[in-house]
Amino acid sequence: MEMLTLFAIFLVSAESTLAQKFSGLLRSFRLQSFFLALLTLLAAYRSNSIELYFVGSLILIIKVLLIPHLFQTLIKGINVSDNLGLFVSPQLSLFSAGILGIVSWSFSNQIMHGTDLGQLIIGVSFFVMLVGIFLMISRIKALAQVIGLLMMENGVFLAATVIPGGAPFFIEIAVFFDILVSAMILGLFIYRIKAIFTHIDISKLSGLKG
Amino acid sequence: MLDIILIIARFILLVALAPFIGGLIGKIKNDLRMRKGQPVLQPYYNLRKLFSKEAIIPVNSSWIFTCAPFIILASALACILLLPNASQIRSPDGAASLLIIIFVLALGRFFQALAGLDAGSSFGGMGSSREMFISSFVEPVACLSIFSLILSGANFSVSTILTGLALLTVILTETSRLPVDNQETHLELTMIHEAMVLDYSGPHLAIIELASYIRQIFWITLLALIILPTYPLIAIGSAVIAICVLIAFIEIGIAKFRLFRVPNLLMFGFLLALLSIAAALVRI
Amino acid sequence: MNLLLSNIRLLFVFDPLALFFIIVILLVSFPALIYSIGYSKGKSTPLTLAFIASMLLLVSSANALYFLIFWELMSLLSYLLVLTDSENEQAVSAATLYIVMTHVGTAFLLAAFCFIYRASGSFDLSAMAAACQAMPQLQRDLLFICFLLGFGTKAGIVPLHIWLPYAHPQAPSHISSIMSGVMIKIAIYGFIRFVFCILGINSLWWGVLLLTLATITCLVGIIYALMENNLKKMLAYSSVENIGIILVAISLAMIFVDQKLFPLASLAMIAGLYHVVNHAVFKGLLFLCAGSVQKGAKTLNIEELGGLIKKMPWTALFFLIGAMGISALPPFNGFISEWLILQAFFRGAISVSGKMTLLLAVGAGALALTSGLAAACFVKVFGISFLALPRSEKAAEAKEVDWTMLISTGFLSVLVIALGLAAPFVIKMLAIIPASLFGTTPPIASLFNLYPPPNAVAMLSLLSIAMLLGIFLVMRKKSHPGATWDCGYYKIDSRNEYTATAFSKPFRITFGFFLLPFRRTELVKASSYHVSSFSHETRTTKIFKKYLYDAGLAVMMRFARSFRRMQAGSIHIYIAYIFVTLIFLILFLRII
Repeated sequence: MEMLTLFAIFLVSAESTLAQKFSGLLRSFRLQSFFLALLTLLAAYRSNSIELYFVGSLILIIKVLLIPHLFQTLIKGINVSDNLGLFVSPQLSLFSAGILGIVSWSFSNQIMHGTDLGQLIIGVSFFVMLVGIFLMISRIKALAQVIGLLMMENGVFLAATVIPGGAPFFIEIAVFFDILVSAMILGLFIYRIKAIFTHIDISKLSGLKG
Repeated sequence: MLDIILIIARFILLVALAPFIGGLIGKIKNDLRMRKGQPVLQPYYNLRKLFSKEAIIPVNSSWIFTCAPFIILASALACILLLPNASQIRSPDGAASLLIIIFVLALGRFFQALAGLDAGSSFGGMGSSREMFISSFVEPVACLSIFSLILSGANFSVSTILTGLALLTVILTETSRLPVDNQETHLELTMIHEAMVLDYSGPHLAIIELASYIRQIFWITLLALIILPTYPLIAIGSAVIAICVLIAFIEIGIAKFRLFRVPNLLMFGFLLALLSIAAALVRI
Repeated sequence: MNLLLSNIRLLFVFDPLALFFIIVILLVSFPALIYSIGYSKGKSTPLTLAFIASMLLLVSSANALYFLIFWELMSLLSYLLVLTDSENEQAVSAATLYIVMTHVGTAFLLAAFCFIYRASGSFDLSAMAAACQAMPQLQRDLLFICFLLGFGTKAGIVPLHIWLPYAHPQAPSHISSIMSGVMIKIAIYGFIRFVFCILGINSLWWGVLLLTLATITCLVGIIYALMENNLKKMLAYSSVENIGIILVAISLAMIFVDQKLFPLASLAMIAGLYHVVNHAVFKGLLFLCAGSVQKGAKTLNIEELGGLIKKMPWTALFFLIGAMGISALPPFNGFISEWLILQAFFRGAISVSGKMTLLLAVGAGALALTSGLAAACFVKVFGISFLALPRSEKAAEAKEVDWTMLISTGFLSVLVIALGLAAPFVIKMLAIIPASLFGTTPPIASLFNLYPPPNAVAMLSLLSIAMLLGIFLVMRKKSHPGATWDCGYYKIDSRNEYTATAFSKPFRITFGFFLLPFRRTELVKASSYHVSSFSHETRTTKIFKKYLYDAGLAVMMRFARSFRRMQAGSIHIYIAYIFVTLIFLILFLRII
């Protein structure tokens, strides 16, 4: 069961690199978060810990429901086109995702010699993190940066489930609220950027170069 | 007790003879120039005349102008009092006294230069500027001469002679003699010491002149003591006279240096002093 | 490493050296604080108090880590104090230069401390001393260079001095007096503490190097001071010169310690420490007087002053006392310390070997030259600023300052005189310090074995009789005021007076090989017979700043500009940099 969920996360992350519209990206992010929540709940069921249930449901609420909803209202509010703006073409993005998969696989081989499942989880979590950074690099609009950051957060959470004894509960809760607050602030900023500059094209920042 | 009497006797002798030495040098110069010139005791007559006159104080000046002559005289008198004994001159203690003397002379010079600036004329400022300029180069030469005194041992060694020559340059500068300064002129191009005292008159001027005579006899006596430290008083006296003759010859024979060449002369004196130290180290 | 003070009694050490510096700090800071009441109505007093407190804690700390902490605090607080007048662009650039240079110095100190910590395992001074004894010679040499550079930047040794003439004039006068009087002495304290006590001297070339640098510092400082027409900038350069004099004495002590001539080393150390307190007092006094001049006459440019002795008599008197002190004129304090240093030279010359004697001779000559030049400098400053006629309206309308400023400068003047007259007592007190450092007593008694004995009483009595007689003789005649001799012109005014630039011209020409003066004249003729205007501009080049620092800065800026191509301004590129580094680290270096 966990293998299936992991595979789903892997597929969804790879698919997010193909998204050309903001709605598509957001959908991939929701799916990814959903499967992550599922994995966490499964782990909770297996180890029978209340905390993991709590964490899983928090992932569900915040990352699957709240944050995407926040972003959708944001997009409607600032009235930009749905187009994401790509530096790298979708095919090349997918190819890069493949390379990143190989990298994360070799990485997990290096560091994890334990259970098969642990190795897989580390590998996938690292893959998710790298895809997050990749999205931040290769997409023009500021919103994609935020989604990339949130994906990296997902990857961190995934890795945290492998830690024996589980990551300390309070740390997880703290990180959650951190994410929530950052998302709100980032949303606010994008609103302000749009209000002042009338666009959220961050490639225009290169006009500031020294 | 005997010490104190000797100090006071020496003090009175040197102060009393100071203008005489000045007159003596002037007389020798005039003889060399084939002129009749002034009598030898003329400086005494000058001082008496000046003391009987009124003093005129420039309106632009301040208390420094009126107090400076006394400080200058006090520093000159202190030099005579601090002069080490002949037997002590070659020791570090004697050198310490000589160092104090150099700083005391600097005190007198400081106030003289300030008095020159106080009157508010260009001459005074020029004199002060030149005086401070030249005297700052005299200090290392004097200091090094004293330095070499401690190191050298015997009389008439090479190092003592070189020290004496270095001190001769110091004497020529400190007593405002040619080639550094001309005491007989009041032309702005050529006067240094005279320029600073241009606005003094009456008793103030008498005091300053007396102080310069005292400084002169101090330096000449010092040179004599350095060359002949262990000889009796008569020998020292004749050495003093010999040095006066030497100074007179130098004054006659050489023209005044341009101001910016005077440091060259003093650098030469510095080198002489260094050479004397090196000679003392090699014990020749 | 226990940062929390569980063993708090080990934190402070109050040995004689530290106590001496605490006294110096307090002696100068109190008058400055009282001065600031009248000068700036007590603005920035909390910062000043914190600054003084940091210095006090610095000299009494027994732990090198706390030493560094308070050192940095002191630098930071003085930076903020220099910036008090922060609208002035020159103040900002001066403060920036200061903070950069002091940080460079502190970096060297940090390196040295960490190096010793690695060998000793603790920051306590005693443990560090023990560790340094066991180090090989090359490491000790490196540590000495680090300490020299670190403390030298703060003290103002040439060529690390360039921040001094910019920072000290820009600060308010009481801050300048504390900085110039005390803060640069803290560097001397650090040097003595860390080189004598902790590092231990075992090489001759350390002392010789320091002697050479200190002599050059003296001469460079006073030559630049002679050229300056801004009162405070001149005083700042004079501080450079006096730090050179102090370091000459300290280097002599180092040389003598290495040659195992401990009595002479004590003598040199006493001379150096005496000059520390002397310079603190008279430089503090001079800076406060400069502030009074600025407050009373509204300008610090000497060329615009003149005649202030009639308008500001007390300030003039105190400035004169300070000038006499700094020019080493008897019987004030500067004379005693310079005389002691020369004594150390002379007595040392007998005991050391041949080549060293020549070196000591040249050093003594250089010291005598600087004291002559210093006297010339202060004749110029005092004479042109205070004497004769005012050269501008600002000077003509000058007013005496209020009593708080007068009291503080008066107190320091009394201290100048007292430190000079009470010399035997002070020397006896100071002899405790080298006794605690070296364990021997210096030959104090032989110092005062001057001829003729009994010295002071006979001399002074004769002199006073002579002076009284003279005054009596003169006062008997009438003396009446007259005009200054003016070659027959009917009007003499301030244009006839000598100017400051003219006063220092002989020096400018003689030292022209070093000062590289620049002169430009412009003659405007209305007709072939009539000149309507003539302007003359002269300037000297600051060779250290121009050829050492500006050149180095230009190279660094060129280098930095070539790096700008990497900064494209796009966030994507920046994240890509991080990404590539991450991949690289993971794949090839096996680091997570």
